[in-house]
Amino acid sequence: MANSGSLADTIYWHYTPNINYSVGLDYQRDKVSNEYFPSARFTYLINRKNTAQSQRNLYLKAGVGLNDSANHFYALAGDWETRRLFSSFSAKKSSGIGYDMFEQSVKVGIAPYLGDYGDLHTWLMVETKKNDLDNERITYPVLRLFKGGALIEMSYHKKTKWDIHLMYRF
Amino acid sequence: MKNLILLGLLVSSTVIYAEHHEQHGMDTMHSHEGHIHNEMVNGKTLEVDAQRFDKFMIGIDNNVVAVVSVQGMVCDFCARGIEKTFGKDKRISKIDVDLASGKVLLAFPVADDIDNADITKKILNNGLNTTDIQVVGN
Repeated sequence: MANSGSLADTIYWHYTPNINYSVGLDYQRDKVSNEYFPSARFTYLINRKNTAQSQRNLYLKAGVGLNDSANHFYALAGDWETRRLFSSFSAKKSSGIGYDMFEQSVKVGIAPYLGDYGDLHTWLMVETKKNDLDNERITYPVLRLFKGGALIEMSYHKKTKWDIHLMYRF
Repeated sequence: MKNLILLGLLVSSTVIYAEHHEQHGMDTMHSHEGHIHNEMVNGKTLEVDAQRFDKFMIGIDNNVVAVVSVQGMVCDFCARGIEKTFGKDKRISKIDVDLASGKVLLAFPVADDIDNADITKKILNNGLNTTDIQVVGN
């Protein structure tokens, strides 16, 4: 998984031994300081509900810096989706050297058409975020495309500019 | 504010459409044309999209097919693991994932190789639930 945003570029590898948890390594380059921040990540599936038409998930996520454990985060995240609709939320508390931040985000999306297995799938989404550092809510459009094991997600906001997220499932 | 109201209306209309479509699907489950309706030995009715099933059977005429009903299979990206998992199983000659009906078709050259417990376990290991397995052919 790779992410390129206005403040940092990130590469994230993760391995899922079973459906209950995954472990990963995150390597972030801060675009302002040009410093590198490797960190270890852990994701735990608290709850999943499958129905014929939907899936709902609740996750606990955490990460800690490998250079300095003062850099760490923990988060509660969840999603619910059908083939047509998507919604997710995240509440994340992160700490670094000289700052603590609590960020909340919500994302909703709709698939304009229902593709078959193997087709190009498209999601039109809107995400809104707010953190307690600048106390300003930002809302922006997100376009998610995926085909096979490859996914790309692009978003744009005048403040944060382009954010591009790439994921490949091996 | 206008944008939020428009977004709300868009999402609401889609939810209503999705609920209507789901209701329609339940009401007419056994009457659509273009579906195979086989009365099974156990009295259950098997429903598979006929066109899709015929296409799947090309080149594997003598195989038996396990039709696996799966819950939670709403996303192509998330269902990739199913194809990967069953693709490693040498007993299986062909796989089809049908997101629309929530069914996975698994073709076996030898009927005795169908192990319902193994199929259920593999589906569960991909984070999904098996609700039914029916066998067609031979």
